[in-house]
Amino acid sequence: MCLAIPHRIISFIGSNRAIALAGAVETEIRTDLVPDAAVDDVVIVHAGFAIEKLRQEDGAELEKIWKEVTELAGYPE
Amino acid sequence: MQDTPSNTPRERIAKLSRALDRIVDRRIKVMEVCGTHTVSIFRQGLRSLLPASLELVSGPGCPVCVTDQAEIDAAVSLARMEGITVATYGDMIKVPGSGTSLLEERSRGMDVRVVTSADQALSLARNCRDRTVVLIAVGFETTAPATASVILDARSEGLENFLVLDLHKSVPPALKALASDPLVKLDAFLLPGHVSVITGLTPYRFLPEEHGIACAVAGFEAEEIMIGLLETARQVKTGRLAVASLYSRAVRPEGNPAARAVIEKVFTYADAPWRGLGIIPSSGYVIREEFAQFDALKRLDIPLSAVPPPEGCLCGEVLRGLIEPPSCPLFGCECTPNHPVGPCMVSTEGSCAAFLKFHQGGDNPWED
Amino acid sequence: MGGLTIGHGAGGRLTEELISLILDRFRKTPLADREDCALLPGGLAVTIDGYTVSPLSFQGGDIGKLSVCGSANDLAVRGARPLFLALGVIAEEGFPLEDLLVYMESASLICDSMDIALVTGDSKVVPRGQADELFLTTCAIGKIEREPVLGVDNLKHGDSILVTCPPGMHGAAIAAARYGLKVHGLASDCAPLWPMVEKVLPLKGLRCMRDCTRGGLGTVLCEWAEASGLGIEIEEEKVPRDEPSLSVCELLGFDPLHMAGEGCAAVAVSAEDAEKAVAILRQHPSGEMASIIGKVTEKHPRLVGIHTISGGTRLVDKPVGELLPRIC
Repeated sequence: MCLAIPHRIISFIGSNRAIALAGAVETEIRTDLVPDAAVDDVVIVHAGFAIEKLRQEDGAELEKIWKEVTELAGYPE
Repeated sequence: MQDTPSNTPRERIAKLSRALDRIVDRRIKVMEVCGTHTVSIFRQGLRSLLPASLELVSGPGCPVCVTDQAEIDAAVSLARMEGITVATYGDMIKVPGSGTSLLEERSRGMDVRVVTSADQALSLARNCRDRTVVLIAVGFETTAPATASVILDARSEGLENFLVLDLHKSVPPALKALASDPLVKLDAFLLPGHVSVITGLTPYRFLPEEHGIACAVAGFEAEEIMIGLLETARQVKTGRLAVASLYSRAVRPEGNPAARAVIEKVFTYADAPWRGLGIIPSSGYVIREEFAQFDALKRLDIPLSAVPPPEGCLCGEVLRGLIEPPSCPLFGCECTPNHPVGPCMVSTEGSCAAFLKFHQGGDNPWED
Repeated sequence: MGGLTIGHGAGGRLTEELISLILDRFRKTPLADREDCALLPGGLAVTIDGYTVSPLSFQGGDIGKLSVCGSANDLAVRGARPLFLALGVIAEEGFPLEDLLVYMESASLICDSMDIALVTGDSKVVPRGQADELFLTTCAIGKIEREPVLGVDNLKHGDSILVTCPPGMHGAAIAAARYGLKVHGLASDCAPLWPMVEKVLPLKGLRCMRDCTRGGLGTVLCEWAEASGLGIEIEEEKVPRDEPSLSVCELLGFDPLHMAGEGCAAVAVSAEDAEKAVAILRQHPSGEMASIIGKVTEKHPRLVGIHTISGGTRLVDKPVGELLPRIC
C-alpha cells in the first residue's frame, strides 16, 4: 500500500487526472496535490495521488553531499 | 553521478559502508520511522553493511502497525454490516482484530474490496449506489491528502453512499513522544522521505533543537539510505545537529502546501491511540464537523471500545525500538505471518514480518 | 482444525503442511517423493494439476494453454517426455460453450506442438454459483528419458544454479489483470519446457530441474536447500530481468522471486557443465535469457542467501500465505 513510486505523466484527462507510466505500467492518477504538474514531469504517486514532482537530480548537489559525508571518514574524493 | 567501471552503485555503497565504519566510533542508536525504509533496508540486505556499533531500530513507520486494536475491530465490524462495501488498501486486509480480519470476512462472503487508490473507492460508490462504500483510511501525512481530496469530491458531487473510516495519524507528534520517552534514548532519526514531502522539514526541528537528536531525511534507494545513515553518524560525531535533507529531489523544505491545505480543510487534530505507544496528543487526524456526513464513525453504529493488546504481544516494545522482534516471546511461534497476533507481523512493512521474512527468524549468517 | 485458507493453496509453507497432512493418511510409498512428478516402475512418469486461474484469459495465454504446459512441464523438468494427457473439465452452468472451445483449442495447439495425445477425459457442469466459471485438471503421463534420474539428492557443493528466463512473469501478468493494470509489453511466460530442456538432458553434470510455479524461484531454491541439507547463494545482479513484470511487482509490492512463472525452470548442474548448459538453453526462444545465477554451497546449510545489487546480503525465504490467489 505505502509504496510511493515515480510515475511519468503522459497525458491529462481533465484538470486533475492524468495517465502516467510507472516503468511499464500505465495508470490513471489524480494530480490535485501537484497543481503545476505537466506532461513529461515525473511525480511520486501514493494511494493513486501524485504528491510531489521529482526534480531532476542535481549532480552537483549529490557530489557535494558525498564530499561532506565522506570527508570526515578521510576519503580524498 | 556517472556510472564508471569503478563507480557502480555497489562500489559507492561499499565506500559509504567503509566511511560509516570509520565515523561511528561509539555505540549509536538510529531509528528509522518509515515502512518503506524498513522494507528497503531488509530487502537490500543493508544491515550486513553497517558497523556493529550502529544500532538501527525500526520504529512506528508502518501505519497499519500502529493502528489500534479497537480501530481494527471497527473496520472488521463494518464488513459484517448489511449493505456495506468495505474498500481497503492491501495491507490492512490481513490485520487481525480481536476476532477476525477483513480477509477472513471476505472469505466468508462479505463485500471487502482491495483498492490501490482512494479514488477507486470513490468510483465504487459512484457505480454501486445501492451500497454504502466505506474507505478504511489508514496512513500518515502521505495518504491523508488523498482521503481529504475524495471527501471533498464526494461533497461536491452530493454522493450519499460514500463514507470514510478515518484512521489517519500524524508522524511528528509520534516522534516527539519517542524523543521524550526516557527508555527510548535515540541518537538519531532517519526521517521518512514521503511524509516529509508533505510536511517539509520544519516540523522536525524540535528534535535536534530540544532533544539533541540528529535527523536526516533519506530517499529509498540503498545508496540514499546509506548516505542518510552516514549523515546522522556525522552529525552525532561532530555534535552539529540539524534536520538534513538528503532527498531534496522530492522534499521541499516547505513541503507540499497544496497537500497540507487540503488536509487542513478536511481534518483537524485530536489525541489518538497508537498501538504500543499509547495515546499521543494531537496525533490523530479527525474529520471536521462540517464533513461529518462522510465520517463512518458518526454515521454508522460502530462499536469502539478500548481493547487490551493480546497477552504476550510486545508490538509496543518493538515499535519503540526497545527490543528486536526475536525477543518477543510470541515471535515465530504463536505469531507468524500465517497467524499474526499483532500488526507488526501482518504488514509486509512491519518490523516483525520483515525480520522473519528476511532473517528466517534467526541470526542472519551474513551479518556481523 | 479450522477451515482451509487461501494460503493453503498458495504453494508455500502452508501448502507444504497441507500436503503432509494429506499424505499421512495414505499408505507410505517411496514413489511419492514430493517432486513435481512421480517416477513409476517401468519407466513412466505421471503428474496431475488443477487449474483455477482467474482471469481465464491473460496476456500470453489462457487456462487451456496453461493446463497443458503446467502438467507437461512437471514431467519435463524430471527428464520425462510428455506423451499422454487426461483432461478433466468442471464448468459452471451458463459458461459459454464458445469460450470453452477456445480454451480447448489453445490446449490442443500445445498438445500438437509436443505430440501429446489426449487419451481420456471427463466433463462436469455444476449449477450456477457452485464453481467460478471453469476449472480444469490435467494428468500428464510421460516416458523417462534420463538416466540416472534427476532429483534434489544429486545436488553437491559447488554446483551451479541456472534459471531459464526472468522469474515471475506469469504472476505479474495475472496480478496486472487482477488489479486492472495496463502494462506495456507484459506477457505471461507460459510455454512448454520440454523442447528446450530435452536438449540439456544428455549433460552428465545435470543434477535436477524444477519449474518455478506457485511460490516462484525463491520457493524452489528453498525447497532444494531444505531437501538437500545444503546452502544456496544467488547474485541478484545475475538474475535475468523482465522490465514490465518488474514494474508490476514494484507497484504492487511483490517480490519477483515469489511470483509464479509458467515457462521458467530452475536448473542445477555441475560447475563444469554450467556454461554448456546455458549455451544449450539459449538456443531455444524460451531460454534466450538463461543465466547462471548462483551456486550450491556447504556453508549455511538449508538456507538460501541472496547477494543484493547493493552489495548487502540477506536470506530468501518462501512466501507465507496468499500473495495472489488463483494464479494458475
